[in-house]
Amino acid sequence: MIEINQLTKTFTSQDGTPVHALGGVDLTVNDNEFLTLLGPSGCGKTTMLKMIAGLQGWDGGTITIDGKAVTGPGPDRSMVFQNFALLPWATVMDNVCFGLRLRGTERRAREERAQELIEMVGLSGFESKRPGELSGGMQQRVGIARALAVDPQILLMDEPFGAVDEQTRRLLQEELLSIWERNRLTVVFVTHSMEEAVLLGDRVVLMSARPGQISEIVEVPLARPRSSDVGGLERSREYTEITAHLWDQLRSMHSEHRAVEAVR
Amino acid sequence: MWEHLLASFRRIGVGVGCAIVLGPLVGFLMGRSRWVNSLTEPYLNFLRALPPLGYIGLLIVWFGIGDLSKYWLLFLAAFPPIAISTINGMRGIRADRIQAAESMGANSWQITTHVILPSTLPDILSGIRIATGFAWTTVVAAELNNGIPGIGGLAYVSGTQLQTALTIACIMVIGLCAVALDTALKYLAQLLVPWHGKAS
Repeated sequence: MIEINQLTKTFTSQDGTPVHALGGVDLTVNDNEFLTLLGPSGCGKTTMLKMIAGLQGWDGGTITIDGKAVTGPGPDRSMVFQNFALLPWATVMDNVCFGLRLRGTERRAREERAQELIEMVGLSGFESKRPGELSGGMQQRVGIARALAVDPQILLMDEPFGAVDEQTRRLLQEELLSIWERNRLTVVFVTHSMEEAVLLGDRVVLMSARPGQISEIVEVPLARPRSSDVGGLERSREYTEITAHLWDQLRSMHSEHRAVEAVR
Repeated sequence: MWEHLLASFRRIGVGVGCAIVLGPLVGFLMGRSRWVNSLTEPYLNFLRALPPLGYIGLLIVWFGIGDLSKYWLLFLAAFPPIAISTINGMRGIRADRIQAAESMGANSWQITTHVILPSTLPDILSGIRIATGFAWTTVVAAELNNGIPGIGGLAYVSGTQLQTALTIACIMVIGLCAVALDTALKYLAQLLVPWHGKAS
C-alpha cells in the first residue's frame, strides 16, 4: 500500500517566482489496484509519480510504501517512461535484462526471465534488434518488459502511450490490461487522456494545477476483466458518463486557468 | 616521401593519441562536476582559440627543437575539440535514460559505465575526428623548425628552396592522407556506434 501524506513541492521558475507543483496531496493506493492519475499539464502528476519512484525529492509531507518511508528508488518499484528511455546501443534482450544485470543476476537466469517477458509483450524474434530498428509501440513494449523483468510490486507508468500513434496506443492499452489481469500488480498510471484513465483504472484521481492538488477521485465501476471486450466497454453507459464527467471537470479547470491568466 | 610521411604520422599518432586518452577524461570530469567545469572551461576555450603557430616558439623553448615540442603542439591542438565534444555529449544525455537506470537501482558507478559512457561515445568519436583533421592542418606548423624528416617540414623546406613541384606533391599527399584518415574514422564510428542517429 502506498500512502501519501500532505505532499508539497515548490519549484522556483527561471524568473524567480515560486511554482507550486504540489500543494498538500493526500492519497492512498491500495495493493493490486490500478490507479490512474489524470489532470491538465502542470498539475504535478508526473512529479508525484517520480517522487513515488524515488527519483525526485519533495519539500514537505511523507510517502510510505507498506509503512516504510520512501527515500530513493527501490527494488519494489519500477518505472515505464513516456519516451521509452531505452539504451539505444543495447539489443531488445539486453534492454530487458538491464535491471537484472544491475542487480548482479547471473546471465542465464536473467536471459531466461527476459525471454519470458519478451514473449509476453509479443516481441519474440526481435531479441537481437536495437531500439532504433523498432517502431515506437514496439519500443514501449520493451520498456514494459524491462520494468516487469525486475519483478516489482508496484509499476509506475508515466504517460507510457503518450508518444505512440492512436491505433498503437489502443492496442497497447488492451495488452496492458491483459498483462495486468494476469499479474495484478499495483499500478500508478499517469495520463492526460480521460478515455485511457477510465478504461484502465479502478479509480481515476483527477488533479488540478497551480497548486497541484487532488480535485476528485472517481471510482470506475466497469467489470474486470476488461481486456476481452474493450469495444463493448467503450460503448457502455458508465464509461460514457464517467469520461464525460471527467471532461467537464477538466474543461472547467482549463477555462478557470485561462481566466486567471487573463486577470494577470 | 614515405619516410617523411611516416615521421609525420608518428608525431600525429603520439600527439592525437595522448589527446584521445586525456580529452575524454578531462571532458568527463568537467561534465560531471560544475565546480571543475567553471574552473577549467575558460582555459579550454582560450587554448582552443589559439592558433598553434602562435605558441610553437614557446614550446620549442620549453621542450627543445626535437620531437617532444612537436608532440606537445599536436597534443594541444587535438585536445580541446575532444574534451569539448565529450562535455557536449554528457550535457546532451536525456535525463530519463539516467532516471531509468536509477529507478532500477543503479548506483552512480553503474550509471557512469552503463549509461553515461556509452551515451557519450558517439560525441567522443566525432571529437576525435575533428581533432585528427585539425592535427593534420597543424602538422606543417609543427614541422616548421627542424621538421625533416616530416611531410610538413618537407613541404615548407621545398618551398623555401623553390622546388615548387615537390611542395605541391607534399600538399597533395597531406590533403589525400587527411581525407583518407577522415573516411577511415567515419567508418570506425559507424562500426563502433551503429545506433547513433537512429531513433531513441
